[in-house]
Amino acid sequence: MALARAAGQAGPGAALALLWLLVRAAAPPAVCAPGDSGYLRLSVADLFDRVIRHSGRIHSLSTALCAELENRFPARDNELGKPARRCPTAGMLTPNGKEYAQKIPREELTYVILKLLHAWKEPLSHFNQHMEHHQELPDDSLSKAKQISKMVHELETGIEKVTEKMQSMGIISNSLHGMASSEAAGFSSTNEANMMSDSDFIHCFKRDSNKVQCYLKILKCRIMPENSC
Amino acid sequence: MKQKFMSSIQIILLLPLTAMELTGQSYPGKPKIIRCRSLEKETFSCWWKPGSDGGLPTNYTLFYSKDSEEKIYECPDYRTSGPNSCYFNKNHTNPWTTYNITVTATNEIGSNSSDPQYVDVTSIVQPGSPVNLTLEAKTSASITYLWAKWSPPPLADASSNSHVYHYELRLKPEEKEEWQETIPVGMQTQYKVSRLNPGIRYVVQVRCMLDLGEWSEWSAEKHIQIPSEELPPEKPTITKCRSPEKETFTCWWKPGSDGGRPTNYTLLYSKEGEEQVYECPDYRTAGPNSCYFDKKHTSFWTIYNITVRATNEIGSNSSDPHYVDVTYIVQPDPPVNVTLELKKPMNRKPYLVLTWSPPPLADVRSGWLTLEYELRLKPEEGEEWETIFVGQQTQYKMFSLNPGKKYIVQIHCKPDHHGSWSEWSSENYIQIPNDFRVKDMIVWIIVGVLSSLICLIMSWTMILKGYRMIAFILPPVPGPKIKGIDTHLLETGKSEELLSALGCHGFPPTSDCEELLIEYLEVEDSEDQQLMPSHSNGNPSKKGKTTPKETDSDSGRGSCDSPSLLSEKCRESRALPSTLQTQDVRDVQENKAVKRSWETECVASERKTLLSNSESTKSSTWPAAQLPDNQPPMFAYHSTVDARKITLITTNVNVAPVLVENEEKHQSRYSVTETVPGDMEEQGEMENLHSKTEETAVQVKQNRPNEKSPFLNGTLMDYVEVHKVKQDEEPAVLLKHKENSGKTENYTIPGTSKEYTKVSTVVDHNILVLMPDSRVQHTPMSQEPAKEASQNLQQGQAEKNMSYCLTAPSDCKRETSGSEYMDPSSFMPSFK
Repeated sequence: MALARAAGQAGPGAALALLWLLVRAAAPPAVCAPGDSGYLRLSVADLFDRVIRHSGRIHSLSTALCAELENRFPARDNELGKPARRCPTAGMLTPNGKEYAQKIPREELTYVILKLLHAWKEPLSHFNQHMEHHQELPDDSLSKAKQISKMVHELETGIEKVTEKMQSMGIISNSLHGMASSEAAGFSSTNEANMMSDSDFIHCFKRDSNKVQCYLKILKCRIMPENSC
Repeated sequence: MKQKFMSSIQIILLLPLTAMELTGQSYPGKPKIIRCRSLEKETFSCWWKPGSDGGLPTNYTLFYSKDSEEKIYECPDYRTSGPNSCYFNKNHTNPWTTYNITVTATNEIGSNSSDPQYVDVTSIVQPGSPVNLTLEAKTSASITYLWAKWSPPPLADASSNSHVYHYELRLKPEEKEEWQETIPVGMQTQYKVSRLNPGIRYVVQVRCMLDLGEWSEWSAEKHIQIPSEELPPEKPTITKCRSPEKETFTCWWKPGSDGGRPTNYTLLYSKEGEEQVYECPDYRTAGPNSCYFDKKHTSFWTIYNITVRATNEIGSNSSDPHYVDVTYIVQPDPPVNVTLELKKPMNRKPYLVLTWSPPPLADVRSGWLTLEYELRLKPEEGEEWETIFVGQQTQYKMFSLNPGKKYIVQIHCKPDHHGSWSEWSSENYIQIPNDFRVKDMIVWIIVGVLSSLICLIMSWTMILKGYRMIAFILPPVPGPKIKGIDTHLLETGKSEELLSALGCHGFPPTSDCEELLIEYLEVEDSEDQQLMPSHSNGNPSKKGKTTPKETDSDSGRGSCDSPSLLSEKCRESRALPSTLQTQDVRDVQENKAVKRSWETECVASERKTLLSNSESTKSSTWPAAQLPDNQPPMFAYHSTVDARKITLITTNVNVAPVLVENEEKHQSRYSVTETVPGDMEEQGEMENLHSKTEETAVQVKQNRPNEKSPFLNGTLMDYVEVHKVKQDEEPAVLLKHKENSGKTENYTIPGTSKEYTKVSTVVDHNILVLMPDSRVQHTPMSQEPAKEASQNLQQGQAEKNMSYCLTAPSDCKRETSGSEYMDPSSFMPSFK
């Protein structure tokens, strides 16, 4: 019931449709071999548009959740300025400006995106568990948090598929996996995340979701500059 | 001697003067010495005001004499003190002498002299105002002083600087009108004012005086802000931070009160997660009180903690920290190159195409910044804007704009997901041309109105012309007459006989007679249902295939419509007497009871009478067609049918007897009644009774002596012929009387009429023989008793129920269906 209400707010139709498309795009080998015309029918640009939209949705959701939490638990002083805040991904080096984001190799940017999403998966599930014990939280916020967690998984899958496709088409090199395995273990952010307040946590996530969307847009425009860029 | 000289001149000039006055020119007016003043007691100047110049160039000459001498001197220096003045330098100034000064104006015509002015130099001394007044607020030992400094008035003769002036100073708070006090300063050219209120602006003036003479004018006002006590400047406020293109950003602040002291502003910032504090990299680019962060200094997804510190000599004060994530302070510039274009496609309404470009600073191509647009428009005179969200596209098509109006359009933009809307772009105007179709529309509207007017007039005249017109277009339709009804029979409940006599063929109710092609309907005698054939002869072949509803309405309608079916024949008998009609109407009243019973019978005989009134009406018209005598059968209206219908039915059925007679005269035994399709429809109000144009008419004819059925008593028995008419869908029963036409006049008399309520026999070849019942009596019955009777009887035998079930059609349906006589299925085989 609560989930349904929240989903109603979040536009479940769009989300589900997107999910379906992602899944369909992501898991085609079950139906057709890789290289089959059906598989290639979805262009990389289409896939990019989808993951960009999906990340935009995540960002909108997290913005809404952030506002809800801040309304519910107003910070004592200026919320933004708490020096104690240290986001789970704070240690991660990510491009913080346009020029940087345009300069770094595509593979690296792709990797940064994946890394960001991956780093959030575990803290988000922890956060969800934590939220469930939070009695005074409205169902709405709870379901938003769940939805976010779910969508992050979906987005990661989607981006992995885009990456695979780009690699298969030779758009980016295959050096990605090596990077991923070497560094992915480096983040044990759960402790830090537990120390944060809910609104701080979701604020951090909101920022990173915006980052991901922005990087995806940059990546898309770098790979396909002709495509509505 | 001098006076003599002057007067002689006057006499000489007198004549020409008068002449000159006529031409508008004259000698000059009298000048006036306005002031003589000495700045420092050693020199002095005199100024005069010229009189009228008499229209000619005028020369002014100053003459003076000293009291000690008789000699007249002219002014030594006309220039130094400006126009219309005379400057007496030291050499010409004697402080101990009284000067007698006159100014003479001279032109071509003559001259005029001022009144003499007597001047004592010592009495006209007034120095100039002090100059170069400077003010300074100084604080020492926590007391604030005001230091005022000035210079003595400048003199034309720079060499004489040895004069001693006395000074006075006055001051007041800036906002006050009254001067607070005037302070004698003495001979110093500076002064220290204490006891001032801190934080207030003061106005200061000075003046000076020599040891004799008058005070000078006050010097020019000077203002000074007395600093508040030893306070640091107030807190500045950071008003806004904005990034126009998501690459750089600028913050602005508003200074607090600086207390009159020079104040320095410093912007300091630190980034999230870093301890180090940086100072603003660029105070200049974005103007005063701002700090510009260039690309190098702008990071995204990090929070800047920004404070502004105001510092003066006493101390400093910092603003509240302002936290900024540059991602969320992006506010682009408004879109540019907004163009409005009106497209006029062929055969379509014009539409507006808006195109615009993203703000030049925004780099949308890289994907770093994605803009969404929103436009708003309103008619020029309108109040409310209509706002349309456009999304990421940079063009928009607008349809359905009001023609002939001038629209104002503006666009603004916003980064998706974060940031804020830009300012609106400058207003763009577009004039939507008038749509020419509007004119066409007006023309069409006028045409429509005119035509409807004409229609109205025509219909009005038709109404005025009245009945004749209607009669001309829609002649009255004949209806069959029913001679009489055996109410006794009804009461005794021998309904099967009644039914057979009436030939209520509506049952089993059927309709779909399209494929009925046989000329005549065969009425056969069944072994066990001897009296029933007439019930079912209207619907031989349809039962199997029609739906109950259709069946229902059609069967009822069919036979009931029979009067109207005869309308064509009715036309043949044009000579319908109008008295007949009126009489018919009267008969409606008189024979109410009779007709009720008949129609009741008829309805009862219908197996599935429709519940609706209109359908009942149709069905109740049944017996009118069937009654085998000349009685007016127009009673075939249901009790609930309104009066209008009554009359229509009346007019309709009126004709039936005539037809009967007519046919008798022609000796046509088996006449075929044809219904002209559409005939009924012309009688608009009858439409609901005759929605089907194909009807089957069943003629019930009276038996004739020379009838071919030999076993019938020709004189006593009338017979009913049931004709099925090709192309006619609904059956009707036409009654034929054997009496002559003279009987028509008598048909209204119930007593004389005969009822054919018994079916005596059915002969082959479609002839149903009806027997008049000797028990027939006409007992007028009102509607109410009939109802009550029917209700009572419903509880009784089924047969009786059937005969009175008019008021309860649904009951009728149920009960009749249980009757063995009414079971349509039982009849089926015999007609196949």
